[in-house]
Amino acid sequence: MRNKLLLLPTAYCLLPTAATVSSIEQAQPTSDTELLHAIARGDELSLATLYDRYSAILLGLMLRILHSRPEAEDVLQEVFLQVWRRAADFDEARGRGFTWLVTLARSRAIDRLRSLDARGRAATAAQREVQEETADAADDVLHAEQRAIVLAALAQLPAEQSRALLLAYFDGLTQSEIAAHLQQPLGTIKTRMRSGLIKLRELLHEQMQTARLML
Amino acid sequence: MKHEDYKEMLAAAALDALDAAERRTLDAHLATCAGCRIELEELRAVTALLVYQDVPVAPPAKLRARLLAQLKSTPQTPRVGGGALIPANGAPVGDTTGAATPVTATNVLPFAPAPRMLFGARPRVVFATLAASIIIAALASTLAVLWAQNRRMQTDLARLTQNLHETQQTLVSVRADRELLAALDTHTTALAGTDVANGARARITYDERTGRAVFVIAGLPAPPPGKAYQLWFIADGKPLPGHVFNTDTSGRAEVREQIPPQGRHAQIFAVTLEPQAGVSAPTGQIYLKGTT
Repeated sequence: MRNKLLLLPTAYCLLPTAATVSSIEQAQPTSDTELLHAIARGDELSLATLYDRYSAILLGLMLRILHSRPEAEDVLQEVFLQVWRRAADFDEARGRGFTWLVTLARSRAIDRLRSLDARGRAATAAQREVQEETADAADDVLHAEQRAIVLAALAQLPAEQSRALLLAYFDGLTQSEIAAHLQQPLGTIKTRMRSGLIKLRELLHEQMQTARLML
Repeated sequence: MKHEDYKEMLAAAALDALDAAERRTLDAHLATCAGCRIELEELRAVTALLVYQDVPVAPPAKLRARLLAQLKSTPQTPRVGGGALIPANGAPVGDTTGAATPVTATNVLPFAPAPRMLFGARPRVVFATLAASIIIAALASTLAVLWAQNRRMQTDLARLTQNLHETQQTLVSVRADRELLAALDTHTTALAGTDVANGARARITYDERTGRAVFVIAGLPAPPPGKAYQLWFIADGKPLPGHVFNTDTSGRAEVREQIPPQGRHAQIFAVTLEPQAGVSAPTGQIYLKGTT
């Protein structure tokens, strides 16, 4: 009798624990890597899922780089068709699905930018930097946490370092072009970029582990 | 150039900010330096996160529909010859056989005239010749066995990789179904057949948050040739196109769908009869309809 009484609370204690564990497991969505593998096998639904997950972020990137809604939408479509065609090339041993997708998207946009305007880019970069984004911002609850972490990390970098990084990232400028644009010696720009990116890696490293920054 | 010089180029490379000439120099180095390749990949992972610095902008629903429609006519490129597998594992094998061939050749050559002088030669030479021949024969057969074994293992590996891919594929769809069942925002709506499809009925189960949906149809006659059924999500009076499908001989179908964000609060689900390729706005008669 006494044994039974002792057992009961133990069983009650176990129940919620088991429930919590399984709900955490359920909350984990299909990873980008799994989606890319499924896309490589011709699964259209997985492509649609990947699109729903990242199209708003990537369209934001396209607009920031290209400053033209029709061009941005066109490149966005091109990028996802490319993902469909080349998903088999994605090798998870070499990096994350998210990195693969964003790298592909950005290089497509930069290619388009360079083909659109080879000369005027550096000259208008300054203008673009201050230009306020007026496009209809999407309600991006899915990535709000990631955004907050990245913005906080960027805010911790010295302004001239983050400026060099963002000029390269969003304006597709090379080191020499940034040096000319900011009227700084090339060596200074190289150092800023390198120190900035390495500092950013340190700042984001911990967060990446804890906050599942990339699925 | 020192190794340190290459390392200093990696940050700019991760941002694609190197000049073309620098990029070529670095590429040549990366081909031989695994350490730098790994560091570049890490830095790329960091630069990819910069995308979050930007404001997301929702693309229009028609872009999504156009993209998904284009998939049907866009061929996929298979991985080139097993990709990383062959160069990484194949090279050493090639080296071994490459090295073995000259060794065999130099071993054979001195003994090539042997048959001519076999009878006139001293017993010790004859013995040495025989022993060498036996060793060579043994080596050759071992090589043949190893080669055959290697071929067999490659076939096995290819089959297992194929199996693995299929299993992963199944896992993805099973997990998606499980997520759908477990999600708190999952809804179910029943659809009833209209006058043109009296005995038909259907049910759609969907997660309002992720857009995952499973659509089960029964009693819907197989469509006439050249035609197919198409699913629609009607949100605020605007129909958004869904999957095109056929029913089997018993009038059943099971369709997995990813509802576009704009259609996740749809008030009406409907199925129409349309041309086989599907359309972006409904043109045919409604066969099934359900209201949330």
